[in-house]
Amino acid sequence: MAQRDPRFNQHVLVDTTPMPDHIPKVEEIGATSAPLHSAAFYIGDRCRAFNDDYMKCKDEANGRGEIDCLKEGRKVTRCAASVLKDINTHCLDQFKSHWECLENNNHHLWECRKAEMNLSKCVFDKLGLKKTLPGAPEGQVPVHLRPKQKYAQYTGPQY
Amino acid sequence: MPQDMPPTGGYAQVQYKRNLPARGFKPVYYMIGMHMIMAYGFYKYFHGAREQRELAREKMWSRLHITPLLQAEEDRDQVRRHFADQARANELLGSDAKVYNSDRFVRPTFAYTPASVTQ
Repeated sequence: MAQRDPRFNQHVLVDTTPMPDHIPKVEEIGATSAPLHSAAFYIGDRCRAFNDDYMKCKDEANGRGEIDCLKEGRKVTRCAASVLKDINTHCLDQFKSHWECLENNNHHLWECRKAEMNLSKCVFDKLGLKKTLPGAPEGQVPVHLRPKQKYAQYTGPQY
Repeated sequence: MPQDMPPTGGYAQVQYKRNLPARGFKPVYYMIGMHMIMAYGFYKYFHGAREQRELAREKMWSRLHITPLLQAEEDRDQVRRHFADQARANELLGSDAKVYNSDRFVRPTFAYTPASVTQ
């Protein structure tokens, strides 16, 4: 059989025209899913106001949110980038061990409670950010603070 | 000839009852045992379901916290392509061709594919 090169591939479909100059530049996060999943609650803790502001803007923009809410969107991205930068400077080892654990465990948070505990301790001491789980039932230990996880591969206490 | 009479002492008992030994416990104990096993199972199930619900809540909130971030990145990319499309239309047609009778932002149906490899 004759070898045929594919005519269509993903390369040619990307339009790389840069953003016009009148829109301020912002550096994208560039993190993959595991670090974002690991840092999500700290991002949510620090950037709650920006996130809510952006979502409200989008909601009220009447279908023009993509263009009208660029400013709010930049604030959201800068805030999240600041959280990731702080975690990287102060708690890099704990952060790395946690998101690598997530990466190896199908992003199951309940398999990585030990690494998560170390990370949240470090983040609370150094940055003052806290992981809270809204809407949990009263009078119970929140699920991320329980040493034993019923659905983990190892069902004993993880720390 | 003398009459045919029963033997002295009467006939032997006719055995019409089955003589099977009743094995095991009374049936009610089996019933109780089954219910205890089921109660244990339901106890474990409800505790597991509660934990699963909490884990689902945790996953939902972790996604809720980063949704604006992901959305903002996607929107910026869409707006960048939108402005690029507009610039191309201006260059080719001399004016900005308005496709829809609405000022909403509409994601383009057809994507522009550069003539040469761009990445």
